[in-house]
Amino acid sequence: MAADIISIVVIVLIVLAIALAFSIGANDETLSTLVGAGVIKFKLALLIGGIAVGVGMFSFSFAFVAKTVGADLLGEAITYTDFMLLTVLISSILWLVIGSFAGIPLSSTHSLVGSIFGVVFVYSITHETVNPETAFNWVKLNNVILGWFFSPAFGLIITYVLFKLLAKTYLSKLKGLNQIERSEKYFKWLLLISVIFAEIWVGANSGEAVGILYGLLDNGTLNLEQYIFYAFLCGVFSCLGIYIAARYVVRNLASQMMDSRPSESLITQISSALILMIATLLSLPISHSHVIVFCIIGMNVAQRKEIDYKGLGKMAIYWIITFPVAAILAGLIYFGFNLFGLV
Amino acid sequence: MREVSDDELKKMNINELTHLFVENINEQNLKLIEGIEFLVDEKFENFTQNLNLVIETNTEVRIKKAFEFKIFKSKLMFSKADRLKLFNKINDIKNIGEFFAHKMLLYQVIFPDEEFKLQILSILKSLKTISIDLAEAVKTIGSDLSKAHDICEEVKEERRKMREAEWKLLDQLYNYDMDYLSKTFLYLKELIENIMMLADHIKSFSEYIQFLVTKYLIFD
Repeated sequence: MAADIISIVVIVLIVLAIALAFSIGANDETLSTLVGAGVIKFKLALLIGGIAVGVGMFSFSFAFVAKTVGADLLGEAITYTDFMLLTVLISSILWLVIGSFAGIPLSSTHSLVGSIFGVVFVYSITHETVNPETAFNWVKLNNVILGWFFSPAFGLIITYVLFKLLAKTYLSKLKGLNQIERSEKYFKWLLLISVIFAEIWVGANSGEAVGILYGLLDNGTLNLEQYIFYAFLCGVFSCLGIYIAARYVVRNLASQMMDSRPSESLITQISSALILMIATLLSLPISHSHVIVFCIIGMNVAQRKEIDYKGLGKMAIYWIITFPVAAILAGLIYFGFNLFGLV
Repeated sequence: MREVSDDELKKMNINELTHLFVENINEQNLKLIEGIEFLVDEKFENFTQNLNLVIETNTEVRIKKAFEFKIFKSKLMFSKADRLKLFNKINDIKNIGEFFAHKMLLYQVIFPDEEFKLQILSILKSLKTISIDLAEAVKTIGSDLSKAHDICEEVKEERRKMREAEWKLLDQLYNYDMDYLSKTFLYLKELIENIMMLADHIKSFSEYIQFLVTKYLIFD
C-alpha cells in the first residue's frame, strides 16, 4: 500500500515537473523584444526561442542550477524524500497561483527556494536524527540569496555601462534618422543572436522543473537513464510552452515595444543573458524577471528617463515576502503530511 | 507643383516620398500666399487661378497612397509610427491650405487701406518663411536631426512675431470708423484667422519634429 502511494507520488512529481517546465516556457517574455522589433516572423521567433530554452534546460540539467535545487541546498546528511519534493512543488505552485489571482508579480525561483527552506526546516525539527543547523548547506543557501540581491544590481550596472559605452562610441555619432535606421537594421540581427543566447541561459537557469527531477535522481527514485529521459521531456515541454502558450504574452508585450530601438533591446538582452550565464555557471538559481526589470531600469537611468519608483517599491515588497511566505506555506503543508505519517 | 508618374512613385522609398510630399505641400502654400498677394493687389483673375491650383489634390493623393503602401510593408518597426505620423502631419497642412483656399474663393474684397495691405503682406511673408523652413526641417530629419531642431526653433520664433502682427491687424480691423460692409469685415477677419491657423499648424508640426529629435538623438 505504502509502495503504491510512493509510486503515485513519483508519477505526480514527474507530471508536475514537466508541467512546470511547460509553464516556464509559457511565461517567458524574452522573445517580445525580438517580435516587437520585427526581426523575424512571429511563429519562427517562437520556434527558435522555444528550441533555445529547451536546449538550455536539458543541456544544463546534469549539474549547475538543477543540482543546487535538487541536492546542494541540503546538508550532507540529508536527501529529499518524495513527499518533501511534492510539498515543495505544491507550495511553490500554490503561492504563484495566489500571486497570479492577486495580480502580484512573483518569482518562481524565490518561491521554490523558500518552499525548500520551509520543508527542510520542518523535516529537521520533526526528525530527532537531523540537526536543524546541519540540515542546510548554509554556504550554498547564502550564495543563492546573495545572488538574488547581486543579480539585479549587476544587471542594472552592466546595462548602464554597456549603454553608456555604446552611446559614447557609436550612437551619439549618428546624426540623422536615416543613419539611425540603417544602423538599427544591423542591431536587429544582433538582437536575434542575443535573444537566442539569452533564451539558452533562461532555460539553463530555470532549475525549478529539472531540480525536482534531480532530487528524485539524488534520492535514488530515478536512475540516470530515467532522469535523462524526463529532463529531455522538460526541455521539450518548455519549448512547447513557448510555442503554444507564450505567444499571447509575447504578442501583447511586443505590441508595446514596437517603438523601442533594437540597439537598446540588444543591450538589455545581453546584460540579462550575461547575468543568467554567470549565475548558472555558479549554480545559482536567480529570478530572470527581476534581472530584466533592473536591466530596463539601468537603461532608463543611462538615458535619464523616468523610473516608476512606486511600482519598483511594490515589486521589492513582494520580492522580500515571497521567500518567507513560501517557506511558511511549505512548512505547514509538510507538517500536515507528517500528521498523516506521510514523511 | 512637381508632377510624377505612378511608376516613379513606386520606385521611391519612404524618405523620398516624404520629401516629395512636403515639397508639394510647400509649393501649394506658396501658391496660396501668392494668390492672397494677388488679392491684395486686386488682381482677381490671378488670385482665383492660384487658389484653384491649391484646391487640386490629385498628385498629393497619389503620393499619399504610395507612401501608405510602402510604410505598411516597412520593416523599420521602431520608427514606422513616427514616419507615418510625420507624413500625416504634412497632410494636415495640405488640408488646412485647401480649406483656406476654398473659403477665400467665396468672395473677393477690396482692402480698406494701404497700411492694412502692408501688414497683411508682412504676415504673408512670415508665413512663406515658416512654410519654406518647415519643408527644409522635414527634409533635414533624415540627415541631421540637430539642424532640423534648430530650423524648427526659427519657425517658432517667426510664428511668435506673426501672433503680435495678428493682434494689431484685428485691432485695426475692429477700429475702422467707416460703416463697413459686413461681408468685407467677415472676409478680412477670416483671412487673418486662416493665415494664423496655418501658421499655428506649422508651429505645432515644428514642435513634433523637435519631439522626434529628442526621441532619436542620443547624447553621450
